[in-house]
Amino acid sequence: MSCNGHKVVLLGGDDLRDMFLQGTLYFEKHKEAINDLNVFPVPDGDTGTNMALTLQAASRELQSVSTTSSIGEVSRIAARSALMGARGNSGVILSQLFQGIARGLAGKEDARLTELGRAFQYGIVYAYNAVSRPVEGTILTVAREIARGSRIAVQKNINVVDLLGVAIASGKKALERTPDLLPVLKEAGVVDAGGLGLIVFLEGCLQSVSRHSSDEIPLTEGEKATGEFYKYISQDNETVEESTSLQEEFDTRFPYCTELIIRGDDLLLPTLRQQLEPMGDSLLVAGDTGVVKVHIHTANPGSVLETCLACGSIHDIKIDNMLDQFNKTRWSDGEGQPAQGLRTVSAQIETTPQQRKPLMEIGLVAVAAGTGFVDIFESMGADRIVFGGQSMNPPVEDLVNAVLEVNSKKVIILPNNSNVQFAAEQAVKLVDKEISVIDTNSLPQGLAAILAFDRSKSLADNFVEMCLRARQVKTLEVTYATRDAVVNGITVQKDDIIGLADGALLVSGLTINETVLELLRNVLDDQEEQIVTLFYGHDVTESDAGELAQKVEADFPDSEVELQSGGQPLYYYLISVE
Amino acid sequence: MAQVRIVTDSTAFLEEETIERYNISVVPLYVNFENEVILDGSISNAEFFDKMKNATKMPFTSQPSPGDFVKVYEKILEEGDDIVTLVISSGISGTYDSAINAAKLLDIKRIAVVDTTMTSGGLAMLVKEAAEAAAQGKTKEEIVALLEDKKRRLRLFFIPDTLEYLKKGGRIGGAQALLGTLLKIKPVLYLNNGKVETYDKVRTMKKAMERIVDEIPPAKGPFTLTIIHGEAFDTANKMKAMITERFPEAEVIINELSPVIGTHAGPGVVGLCFYAQ
Repeated sequence: MSCNGHKVVLLGGDDLRDMFLQGTLYFEKHKEAINDLNVFPVPDGDTGTNMALTLQAASRELQSVSTTSSIGEVSRIAARSALMGARGNSGVILSQLFQGIARGLAGKEDARLTELGRAFQYGIVYAYNAVSRPVEGTILTVAREIARGSRIAVQKNINVVDLLGVAIASGKKALERTPDLLPVLKEAGVVDAGGLGLIVFLEGCLQSVSRHSSDEIPLTEGEKATGEFYKYISQDNETVEESTSLQEEFDTRFPYCTELIIRGDDLLLPTLRQQLEPMGDSLLVAGDTGVVKVHIHTANPGSVLETCLACGSIHDIKIDNMLDQFNKTRWSDGEGQPAQGLRTVSAQIETTPQQRKPLMEIGLVAVAAGTGFVDIFESMGADRIVFGGQSMNPPVEDLVNAVLEVNSKKVIILPNNSNVQFAAEQAVKLVDKEISVIDTNSLPQGLAAILAFDRSKSLADNFVEMCLRARQVKTLEVTYATRDAVVNGITVQKDDIIGLADGALLVSGLTINETVLELLRNVLDDQEEQIVTLFYGHDVTESDAGELAQKVEADFPDSEVELQSGGQPLYYYLISVE
Repeated sequence: MAQVRIVTDSTAFLEEETIERYNISVVPLYVNFENEVILDGSISNAEFFDKMKNATKMPFTSQPSPGDFVKVYEKILEEGDDIVTLVISSGISGTYDSAINAAKLLDIKRIAVVDTTMTSGGLAMLVKEAAEAAAQGKTKEEIVALLEDKKRRLRLFFIPDTLEYLKKGGRIGGAQALLGTLLKIKPVLYLNNGKVETYDKVRTMKKAMERIVDEIPPAKGPFTLTIIHGEAFDTANKMKAMITERFPEAEVIINELSPVIGTHAGPGVVGLCFYAQ
């Protein structure tokens, strides 16, 4: 190494080799921290390991290189062996970066800093070419900024230590910005793992050169650096969520929310949909051949109206400029400034503090009673649960509030009881959101329906599929008689245990377990493999339920039996048979 | 005139006979256990899942290096042949990037790399199409065009026994939303534009299989389907029976998963690949 005072200005092959070896060693120490950050492109937590393996492949070769080798030769060997040993996406990109650097240093005995800076530029070009679809917010962004930093630095007649320092500093700045460029990072509250890996490697390289120099080096102690990485990992998710809460939603190219109804004869929905499709987004065309409801976000409501008018007469026309609502919401939020870039807003819904998540296309409200059922519905994707059920029908107001609270444009309601159906239909009339009420008459039907719920599909598709699924499940109920009666030719006395199948009284008995088994004997088809899910109620203990489940399994060996705590009042057991 | 040679990756899990008949080159991916790296396909599935069960840490998989492709390509180019490479979907693996970088390094004019958006049995079906076309003397360009068309019509559905492995391996994709459901459900997943997405959710294995078999288009004459599975011979045979009952003319091939795919889908997985239309 050639020094000018304390300044390293000329780099030889052995210097590059030492930097590389030290960089690899240093990287090895930090690879787990880098693994922990890995969420892109696939969150498999192996970025650190893959980069380490790639570096090791190069280092192994470099160890046997003669100390008198030229810098061109050392870089060529490093690049070639990294390429052969490259693992993972980040490893491949890293190897290409070295490939470019080697190209820049080819044929050189030593390299001046300007030459080193230029080699780095080659590296960037190679790295970007390495991936079929370069994504910003990754190791590529960090590498590019490192190169930019070093390009500016070399013009200022500095030494290699300072050069690396500047390069690392600008890389770090870019690294901190990666979550802004790549949403998946922001969601996870981390910076890009590969980008961090590159910086760690350079810090290791810096350690190597700083040993030869008396210059004061910040940022070289392993611990200090690691502490800094963990800062990224433990970043408070709360703040991250807040900043993403305003992402998504409506596209400013289509500011006019246009809704109307067409009346006519033989209206052709698919044709109309096809005609309207290119005019905007969030298109919804629903109805039948006589009446069609149209909803679209568009830049040109005039052409939407014209197109609709060609099909029939138009009614209930409503056109809103969502930008107005957007600005109003923003200003009334007390933020004091208009937003930068109109990327966001939930147009029709007032924001409440709980609403951190982005506006969804379709939300789901389920009516349920019993802690077990509430948990199950929530685990299956229900956004709001309204308490209610048999003999405790929820007030319409509760349904209206739940529908308003769900941060979505459209809402599906699962009433899960025939008596709640009506209240749900009232809610539809009271709320200015598009709502579908699925005809679910029991909690098991509700669960069957929610299984088919798919937010990525249209409201109409969901409606059809969910109704269909609800009907494919049989609901059995075991409860007690509230009075003496003769139903379906079965005589029951008050307080007898009774068993119903899809609402019809089928059996009565003296014990709960016997009634359940008798009921199952009546409805189970021994030809079919069926799944029987027992939801035990509030008044049944877990151990009693467990015993019964075992009995059911023994008596019906062809069926698959699952036991769940439903926690429902009134019914000892609710049972779904599919 | 130059012949076309087919190169693919180990996740196609081709049977030895096919590899030999068409002189196909297979570049293996890696499965990295804590203290050992194995080449995909170098050990049997039973052995592999056993290893996985006994491992203290989940293995992770990695794509071949560009160098691995370079070695295979160099040899074929020396022999004067052109190359068509079929690789696992770039939505779930970086193998495509390794292959394309190797091709750029050597001779991009003579090497084509096709991102099949598939893997496993689906990839194997495409490889066989490509190899057959090459054997008939089709050019590199003709084969690539054929594959671009075929891959769009190919479907791959699968039912994992549990979502745990997809989650651990980071390939869960759109099926993420199914985690944490309290009811026991059988998710029917599929490769949609090369990524794992949820196709449906049902309660029993039988219904899940029926859901997939329902997707097979009505056939006029014989056609081929590939059942894929990870140590689930019984379920695979049940699915085969279900298919042949409905489609007596169908030729049903049963293929195991390569260990790399097994790492992500987990033991007990069963799936089906076929052409829609």
